[in-house]
Amino acid sequence: MVAPALYVHVPFCPSICPYCDFHKMLRNEGLVARYVERLEAEAAAVSAAFPESPATVYFGGGTPSHLTDAELTSVFSALRRGWGAGAGRAETTLEADPLTFDERRLAALRALGVTRLSIGLQSADDATLRFLGRVHDAAAGLEAVALALEAGLRANVDVIMAVPGQDVERDLRRVADLGVRHVSVYSLTVEPGTPFARRGVRVDPEADADAFELAGSVLAEYGLQRYEVSNFAAPGEESLHNLTYWRGEPYLGIGPSASAYLPVGGPFGTRYKNPPIKAWLAGETPEAEALSADDYLLERLMTGLRTREGVDLEGLERRVGAKLANVAPAWLRDVTRHALLERTDGRLRATPAGLERLDGVLRAFVGSRTAIAADRRA
Amino acid sequence: MEIRNFSIIAHVDHGKSTLADRILELTESVSERDRRDQMLDSLELERERGITIKATPMRLHYTADSGQTYQFNLIDTPGHVDFNYEVSRALGACEGVLLVIDAAQGVEAQTIQNAYLAADNGLEILPVINKIDLPAADVPGAIAELEEIIGVPGDHAVPVSAKTGENVRAVLEAVVRHLPGPKGERVAPLRALIFDAVYDAYQGVIAFIRVFDGTIKAKDRVLIHSTGKVLEVERVGFFRPEPTVAAELSVGEVGWFTAGIKEIADTQIGDTVTSADSPTDRPVPGFKPAMPVVFSGLYPTDTEDYPRLREALEKLRLNDAAFSFEPETSEALGFGFRCGFLGLLHADIVQARLEREFDLSLIATAPGVVYKVVTTDGAAFDVQNPSELPTPDRLESISEPFVALSVFLPEEYVGSAMGLLQEKRGEMKDMIYHGHRVELRYEVPFGEILYDFHDRLKSLSRGYASMDYQFLEYRAGDLVKIDVLVNEEKVDALSIIAHRDKAYDVGRRMVDRMAEVIPRQMFSIPVQAAIGGKILARATVKAFRKDVLAKCYGGDITRKKKLLEKQKKGKARMKQIGTVEVPQEAFLAVLSTEE
Ligand SMILES: Nc1nc2c(ncn2[C@@H]2O[C@H](COP(=O)(O)OP(=O)(O)OP(=O)(O)O)[C@@H](O)[C@H]2O)c(=O)[nH]1
Ligand code: SF4
Ligand SMILES: [Mg+2]
Repeated sequence: MVAPALYVHVPFCPSICPYCDFHKMLRNEGLVARYVERLEAEAAAVSAAFPESPATVYFGGGTPSHLTDAELTSVFSALRRGWGAGAGRAETTLEADPLTFDERRLAALRALGVTRLSIGLQSADDATLRFLGRVHDAAAGLEAVALALEAGLRANVDVIMAVPGQDVERDLRRVADLGVRHVSVYSLTVEPGTPFARRGVRVDPEADADAFELAGSVLAEYGLQRYEVSNFAAPGEESLHNLTYWRGEPYLGIGPSASAYLPVGGPFGTRYKNPPIKAWLAGETPEAEALSADDYLLERLMTGLRTREGVDLEGLERRVGAKLANVAPAWLRDVTRHALLERTDGRLRATPAGLERLDGVLRAFVGSRTAIAADRRA
Repeated sequence: MEIRNFSIIAHVDHGKSTLADRILELTESVSERDRRDQMLDSLELERERGITIKATPMRLHYTADSGQTYQFNLIDTPGHVDFNYEVSRALGACEGVLLVIDAAQGVEAQTIQNAYLAADNGLEILPVINKIDLPAADVPGAIAELEEIIGVPGDHAVPVSAKTGENVRAVLEAVVRHLPGPKGERVAPLRALIFDAVYDAYQGVIAFIRVFDGTIKAKDRVLIHSTGKVLEVERVGFFRPEPTVAAELSVGEVGWFTAGIKEIADTQIGDTVTSADSPTDRPVPGFKPAMPVVFSGLYPTDTEDYPRLREALEKLRLNDAAFSFEPETSEALGFGFRCGFLGLLHADIVQARLEREFDLSLIATAPGVVYKVVTTDGAAFDVQNPSELPTPDRLESISEPFVALSVFLPEEYVGSAMGLLQEKRGEMKDMIYHGHRVELRYEVPFGEILYDFHDRLKSLSRGYASMDYQFLEYRAGDLVKIDVLVNEEKVDALSIIAHRDKAYDVGRRMVDRMAEVIPRQMFSIPVQAAIGGKILARATVKAFRKDVLAKCYGGDITRKKKLLEKQKKGKARMKQIGTVEVPQEAFLAVLSTEE
């Protein structure tokens, strides 16, 4: 059994950002202790069932860097107890807030086995950071990124785009000028129920599209290529962990609300989702959903087409036992005719134009496809 | 107890339903608590649109000045021309009518049409001049028009205000005095007319009847004259206005019966119900079947709803005997029905009732008239669906229906009305002056007055024009089929037939409207109108520039997949044509008015 990746969810944040709809909560000592204890138990149970050591480990949140060194040490030991010293050998990533580390801490993280920091810088401009409600200023944020690089860690810097009043190009250049080899750009979205939504914040669709295109050209100047809708890297600097998601490979997940995808329960695997923190602390088991051929096909297109490498169409068609040309003939014709997707060497890829409209491409697929079972019967 | 059965008829909005409200109040037929405006307009759609769609019967008791109490069965009817079949059936249950005339508007097109309908049925007409509270009310003028235009004597006309209730009692006294009571024999075999029906989930068909001879009560064995079907009556009753159970219905009365009828085909509107033991040999003359004149396709947005749509059409047809349907298929829309209606409003109401009362989501294609076609090999047939029109090389001739149209309006608007009629290819036949009002008589292709004609006539006359039409004949014309291509594919359900001289304008209007209503999608979509292979007009639905969410990591995958699937399900009144989502409004693009 292959389980190349492990995701660990850490739901704590120093403060709550007004645009955030993640699963997170403010830090509270008693709760963190119970969290660590439960995580240790879950690591033991999951590793007993899936003992193969994950090559990549990713700590996501929330803000994992808000765990103390001692807490992180306990968590890492739990992973090592379960999966051995090789857990995370290829890549161990920790999402970190700029204000949560200094040189001493970076050394400690390296010693624990962290190889990569995903830094939530968001912007290199004070006004934009204030608008976003972030506690760090631009100077402190850039300084933190530089420190991480100096400490010999790989750094993945998150930059937010399409914020009203933001100069996206300046933000991107300030980050790239530091020598960062991996940048993730996300457009601000105003999710219902968030404080931004209540305040009536709006994202201008034209500015959003401009920023999307601008990110591609600016970062290319620095040798960073868009290898996924929102992710840019120098060759060899891609996030191995995240690639497992986009390649449809299995991964384990622990922590509240963590998801997992495992090759069990049928030919197309099963997705799991842990309950939110209260139920998770009480030991409730994850929800499971075995995928059908139709689910699998959709998920592969949904995630695979986000990447520059695209999907292995021939392999995919063999696996689901149906040709895309039969499942969605009109769609396939239209998306190729309009040069949104292209087929080369047995792979299906999004063109730059297709990448920018990928959700529309997928909606059209879902709207016009026929179920695979029916297609087989025909 | 003596009985009076009468309908309230009039032109649209002259105040029938409001007059019915006052009569109900005056006879204390509804409790204070249940009162509301236009009590008898009980359909949700009637209340929303402020018009009567269904004829609604109601029983009440009136104690006259003489001290004698009468049973009244009153039927409030719709005024709109599309629901005229409702009126004609209601009249089958009555001996008389209240012909309501708005004192400020005078006699209008449907005043005349409905008055003639009553006269043709041998009913006594009692004129009621309504809205006398309005400053513009002209009672003598209205009476003069009544006498001059319709030829109904005005001596017994009762001036009232249905709004304030003024003089309404005089209407009821006049009903007693001037409208005849029913004739017929109580001790005789049952003879009753089914004039309407409704399907009830628990009781099956509730048949609305008027008893002409004999009586009907629970457990009676009755025979449906045309089918020979024998039924045992379960319950009988009258209307208050909701069906209320009674011990029996006797000669002259209006009411309903149930007999556990689940098969809708077992009851025909216009049929006679008689005693199974001694059936009558004199069935009540039924109704002329309604002749649908406007046709459109109705398709479920979800193909799996086709059987439910069929069932809904059967049930609704029971309550609306004026529309027809038969199965058809469309390449673009799948399985559906070609439905015939009495007019555009009727088509709209049927679609709305199907959607609400039967919880369906439907796509309707543009309504059109029936064309007569002769092909080069001599075959002659009707074309109800434009996509069935043979190609020009196989077409010998094509004819379209013409109607005799009369338009009533104040003389100052005659010029603009004539301009409009000319644009609609109308030919003037006559122009008659009634005082300051003019009646224009035209012959005009029915297809030309179908869509925006009435609205434009109303607006050019500030609401004062009214119109009526009668089918005349088919006439050959230079007619062509306009096809519409969406994303370079011909969509059969969008084809329409138009006169060659107007094809360009019609095509232009359609594609512009479609480009407005088709939502932006992943690529820009050309919408074209064409005759044969020749493109007449083109418009473009622009693509989204950016349409992709930033994040899709492990935990987002399931959520995102569910969202995509939900978006598909949430598409009421949208049809996927290839990869393009086409909303209902796009199918009705031809109805959009030129600005
Ligand atoms: N001023 C005034 N308005 C009236 C009178 N009677 C009715 N109305 C108004 O005229 C409008 C139409 O009244 P309805 O009773 O719905 O007319 P209707 O003849 O039943 O209309 P349809 O059933 O749609 O043909 C409403 O706004 C009424 O309030 C009246 O005596 N005086
Ligand atoms: S720190 Fe991250 S997870 Fe926490 S509230 Fe802000 S955006 Fe959300
Ligand atoms: Mg009414």
